[in-house]
Amino acid sequence: MTSTALPDDGIDRQANPQKGTTLARREAWAGYLFATPALLGLLAFTALPIIASLVLIFLHYDLLTPPKWAGVENLTRLTSDSRLFKIYWNSLRLTVGATFLNNVLGLLLAVGLNRAMPWGLRYLLRTSIFFPVMTTTASLAVVWRFLLTQDRGVVNFLIGQIGLDPVPWLSSSAWALFSAMIYDVWKACGYLMVIYLAGLQGIPAVYYEAARIDGAGFWQQFRNVTLPLISPTAFFAIVISLIGAFQIFDNVYVLTEGGPGDASRVIAMYIYEKAFRGFEMGYASAVSFTLFVILITLTLLQFLGARRWVHYE
Amino acid sequence: MATTTGTATEPVTLRTRYRKSVWLRLGEALLWLLLIGIAVIEIAPISWMFSTSLRDPKNSFDLPPDFWPTALHWQNYLAVINSPDIEFMLFFWNSLKIALIVTAAQLLTCSMAGYAFGRLRFFGRDILFGLFLASLMVPATVTLIPSFIIIRSLDLMNTHWALILPSVTSAFGVFLLRQHFKSLPEELLDAAKIDGAGYFRIYWQILLPLTGPALSALGIFTFLASWNNFVGPLLFLRDWDKFTFPIAIATIRGYMGSGNQSEVLAGIMISIFPLLVFFLLAQRWIVQGAAITGLKG
Repeated sequence: MTSTALPDDGIDRQANPQKGTTLARREAWAGYLFATPALLGLLAFTALPIIASLVLIFLHYDLLTPPKWAGVENLTRLTSDSRLFKIYWNSLRLTVGATFLNNVLGLLLAVGLNRAMPWGLRYLLRTSIFFPVMTTTASLAVVWRFLLTQDRGVVNFLIGQIGLDPVPWLSSSAWALFSAMIYDVWKACGYLMVIYLAGLQGIPAVYYEAARIDGAGFWQQFRNVTLPLISPTAFFAIVISLIGAFQIFDNVYVLTEGGPGDASRVIAMYIYEKAFRGFEMGYASAVSFTLFVILITLTLLQFLGARRWVHYE
Repeated sequence: MATTTGTATEPVTLRTRYRKSVWLRLGEALLWLLLIGIAVIEIAPISWMFSTSLRDPKNSFDLPPDFWPTALHWQNYLAVINSPDIEFMLFFWNSLKIALIVTAAQLLTCSMAGYAFGRLRFFGRDILFGLFLASLMVPATVTLIPSFIIIRSLDLMNTHWALILPSVTSAFGVFLLRQHFKSLPEELLDAAKIDGAGYFRIYWQILLPLTGPALSALGIFTFLASWNNFVGPLLFLRDWDKFTFPIAIATIRGYMGSGNQSEVLAGIMISIFPLLVFFLLAQRWIVQGAAITGLKG
């Protein structure tokens, strides 16, 4: 990539070893000083929490009484927690559905927007599609709660206009998780669009010219030029979508409150409730550790899989 | 299709060309439909929120819905701002104060560490930087419980410090700025060293001014993340007078949402209004920044 300060200082040291050592020492001191604030933040609020959560897994701790040693009780409890399995199944469906829709829509929207069009139109489309990304997830979930109300909700009114029956979006266990997915796609597809747009703009125009000269049509250009060259972007976008969607919390917490029953409860919410409503810090840490293992595995698997189908230019 | 285009000289080429242009047009038309359809779906809830926030509260649930204001009942906004029970504008101030402090702190700590890791040589540098890289992989959900215990043991519950301290730095910001500092030309620094500039002057007067786009991208998204943060206030704040917008709105919805949709929506409009203005003014940088900071996930 780029060169560091190595060669220049090396010469300096040879010419005057005494001075060189002092300089190197001064540079080292400066390095430690400049890195210290960030390093302290990292140690206190990332490194320490990670170590603490590894310890917490083996404790019973309810915040009020001193922690008690639990051995592997929290871990064995994981295997017999049937709610955990149901909630993980919810998380998995929500994650796969949202990731799929967000990435397909994001890519198609980016392809659509990455064409010649009047500046004003492009601005209007991009603004409309991206703005929801910036808004507050928890607050807009309040808006969607109103929109999706069964009896006087706007969405049911609109689908009634085309002759469909009202849908119990939030109150039925068949629909609640689907509603959370719709809300996530509404909120996030503009973000994926921007990422794919940046990827598309990195594809040199000569490839499309060459394809056109060879007689490739719209679909063939998309299939043979866009898709292979966008695959590094897609790989990256899919990984961050999966990791993000597995941690969905605000959305469901406000929109459906996990209900009805456990129908739309997701894993981040379960961790929150075990820890801060049930005050079972140890067991909640064990659950969050399973999430950690899943997310890390996912990242690594994706990185390994990427070698097979990602074309770096 | 394409039956009459065959000529003696190049029948095949012409036929395929014609067929493809039909597909091209079909694809283009579908893309337009998708783009405009999605744009409408994306903006409709927001325009409905705005329109309904201006309805007389007693009509707030009436159908058909408005997607364009038909009433201008601005009293809803005044009612929210002047509410006797809750000081709504205090939430604005709390949100703004925390977001500004967090953003300033992150820009400072991340750029300082970025300079150290990208431009200075010291023992253990690569190991320390590796720690930052590794922590990028740690999801926030996993550190939630121990962070709560740490904040509690520092006696910072129900204070804004509980939201500020964990965010004074970010591994992602350090990574982003280190890459930018590393990419700047060496000659620049040599010239400064020859002129006798110290490390702080090189950082402050030479490197920082050249890092505008990366700094603004990091700044914008740090600000947004703080402004929109819900889990933090949910865990750490107890009293109304400490609340930020997201937690205040979720709580208000709980006790007045069934009676007065218009005023709740007016409250949400107030809370996202700064974002709307900010976005319309700085759209270009924000969209570019979203692409740069994609890693943040």
